[in-house]
Amino acid sequence: MLDTLLKQFFIFDSLSLFFLGVIFIISLPSAIYSLGYLKGECSFRKIILSWTLLVLFVLSMAIIVTISNVFLFLVAWEIMSLVSYFLVVFDTTHEKSIQAGTIYIIMTHIGTAFLVAAFMMMYKYAHSFDFVVIKNACLAMPAPVKDSIFLMLLVGFGTKAGIVPLHIWLPYAHPQAPSHISSIMSGVMIKTAIYGIIRFVICLLGVNSSWWGVLILILAVITCLVGVIYALMERDLKRLLAYSSVENVGIILLGLGLSMLLLSLNMSYLAVFSLMAGLYHLINHAIFKGLLFLGAGSVYKATGTRDIEKLGGLIKRMPQSAVYFLIGSMAISALPPLNGFVSEWLTLQAFFLSAFNSAGGTRLFLGICASLFALTSGLAAACFVKAFGMVFLGLPRSHYAENAKEVPLSMKSGMFFLSLLVVVFGLAAAGIIKLLVKVSAVAMNIDIGSMSFSLNNFTLPAQAGQSIYLSVPMLASVLLVTGLLGFVAYLLFNKGKLVIYNTWDCGYYKLGPRNEYTGTAFSKPFRIAFSFFLLPYRKTQKVRESFYHIKSFAYETRTTFVFKKYVYGPLVVFILRSAKFMRRIQPGSIHLYLAYIFSTLLLLIIFMYKF
Amino acid sequence: MQFIILFTVLVSTYLMIIAKRTPALIRSFRYQSFCLFMATFIIALHEHGLVLYIIAALLFILKVVFIPHLLYRIIKKIKASEDLGLFINPQLSLLWALGFTYLSWVFSARLIGPDNEVKVIMLSVAFFMVLTGVFLMIFRMTAFAQIIGLLVMENGIFLLASMVSGGMPFFVEIAIFFDVFVSVLIMGSFVYKINKFFTHIDVNKLSRLRG
Repeated sequence: MLDTLLKQFFIFDSLSLFFLGVIFIISLPSAIYSLGYLKGECSFRKIILSWTLLVLFVLSMAIIVTISNVFLFLVAWEIMSLVSYFLVVFDTTHEKSIQAGTIYIIMTHIGTAFLVAAFMMMYKYAHSFDFVVIKNACLAMPAPVKDSIFLMLLVGFGTKAGIVPLHIWLPYAHPQAPSHISSIMSGVMIKTAIYGIIRFVICLLGVNSSWWGVLILILAVITCLVGVIYALMERDLKRLLAYSSVENVGIILLGLGLSMLLLSLNMSYLAVFSLMAGLYHLINHAIFKGLLFLGAGSVYKATGTRDIEKLGGLIKRMPQSAVYFLIGSMAISALPPLNGFVSEWLTLQAFFLSAFNSAGGTRLFLGICASLFALTSGLAAACFVKAFGMVFLGLPRSHYAENAKEVPLSMKSGMFFLSLLVVVFGLAAAGIIKLLVKVSAVAMNIDIGSMSFSLNNFTLPAQAGQSIYLSVPMLASVLLVTGLLGFVAYLLFNKGKLVIYNTWDCGYYKLGPRNEYTGTAFSKPFRIAFSFFLLPYRKTQKVRESFYHIKSFAYETRTTFVFKKYVYGPLVVFILRSAKFMRRIQPGSIHLYLAYIFSTLLLLIIFMYKF
Repeated sequence: MQFIILFTVLVSTYLMIIAKRTPALIRSFRYQSFCLFMATFIIALHEHGLVLYIIAALLFILKVVFIPHLLYRIIKKIKASEDLGLFINPQLSLLWALGFTYLSWVFSARLIGPDNEVKVIMLSVAFFMVLTGVFLMIFRMTAFAQIIGLLVMENGIFLLASMVSGGMPFFVEIAIFFDVFVSVLIMGSFVYKINKFFTHIDVNKLSRLRG
């Protein structure tokens, strides 16, 4: 009975199992972390509520990635959206939570509406909700219908994944939830949207024209850059991480879009390779973003603020958390030998290999994508230099940071587990690649029996056309040996020259929290470099007593949120205005309401008479 | 015989359309209900069904005796003006009604097909009654017109069911009677309350109640 039910409504192919694995790898440490995080934050009943919601949340995501029925998929999708909404507004004491939750629930339902439309169109051709039947029906679907279904799926899942310009909810909702939930939302929930794109577009619908991949690539590049630029500008630690999630979803989509493009160009080997790179980055991002959110949560728990400008010097007060956050930052900045490096390197290699194997416009396009992706990685590194440097190094900038204490064991253990995974997924890359290749081959239904993907010998180039080589353990040992040698040299030749001085003083003698280097100052060069997009403005206000004496001086600088101001602002105004206009048909007169019904009835009769 | 009854139903409905005062409206409603009672009773005589006798008796008691009586009593009690409050004057209303008659006839002819003329006429009269009911609810101001309009619609549906499809199941019929009975009671007391609070029963002036 149970067995048949499982077979009828669930699929457990390696794609589903992979996502199931991602979900549980991130949820487990987050759950352990929440033991310490919620202690003392809220009442016992609320803790029970949070656990119930957490379990529901994880369960709904698990169902999403394993279900094989479109209708039930939608149900689980909606449960996930609603539960995550409740988790976003969990901290009811802040008005911001309610606002964030509202933005989130509106955006997610717009996305769901598109999904429903797409699924209905699929149902029209398949007359069934089952994946297998739909897959067969999609083969006979006319191309324009396929195109429109693809676009609707892209908007629907893109809203959840946070593709620019649909990312607007992400920097509001993710920071506002409790930190262990942020880590699950950023690490896993937005990945279910990636799963949706892979499952519905690649598996069921089937890629049939090359512009699909090109569109996803363009969106992905924009998403990467916009995400990382906003992350660089952000001064709220958790919002910075949320924007960085937008960027990383862009990187994952780069792999995904590239594989779709290659699939339509019949280059199956590289298609499998680039989807594998995307999936690798997906699990890596889940791990290190989960870790970073937990780290940010520890900072918040210890200091009570998320404002980077008010933190600083925490490495001396909470050394363990600092180390974990550093590992996460290094991984997300793609420093070898950690896991972020491997997946970003693989994605870049996928771009190079496909550019070498194609010609003309495609080659140019892929080259541009690769270069913009490289730019993104660089900016991400800068962003996390800022995040780590301003939060953990220097002097405390406020009493919040001064009185910080190390967090309890349960929180540390959650972070420790994820840090371990960061290192393992970097060092064991060769084995993991082999596993992920199988997943990506199943997703694209390509037989990889004759292909070889091992990175530790020179078999890859036979099919890829160019030789690439990577051995992370070797890289790690080279780095380790160089570092040790440098340290020994330092010890040998630098003795006696050591001067102990104030932190970040630079010869100023009297550096205090108020004139210390800040995050805003750090990001200023980027603000100037990207001023065409960020549109920064500043306001100075001088109050003079006389020409020579200025009594007070106020300086304010901000960046303009382009999408909020030029896309969503006008849209909201338009909707409110049309709603006001529509209100006119509701004057409150019963006679008029009856007349509406009556005239509709009459019109329908006349309509029937006509046709 | 059936045609005569249908014709009287039609005439009574026209009388309602041109009525200016509430008692006239109630009286026409009484005629209409009586015609329906006759029609049901004749069918019952033909078919000798106990159920049909019961329905006819209920119809007579409820719609010919009780409801008009109740409405008359409310009118007397609240001492409001007998004027119905017309948005559209009787002449123009009659024109509308003629239009409705034509429309419902065309509609039923299309629905049933031209060969079965008896059924077409039945359906069109029934449908015309429903339209008239809504018309009364919209273009008459007082709450009485709303009640009667609803009852006329109900009569139309009853006619539709009993003459076109041979009647609804017994329990459904009983349930509908009960429904009408209760709704008239409730609406009657509402009218009473509205009059008490606002010293009029002009539904048109209730628009300031909206949020």
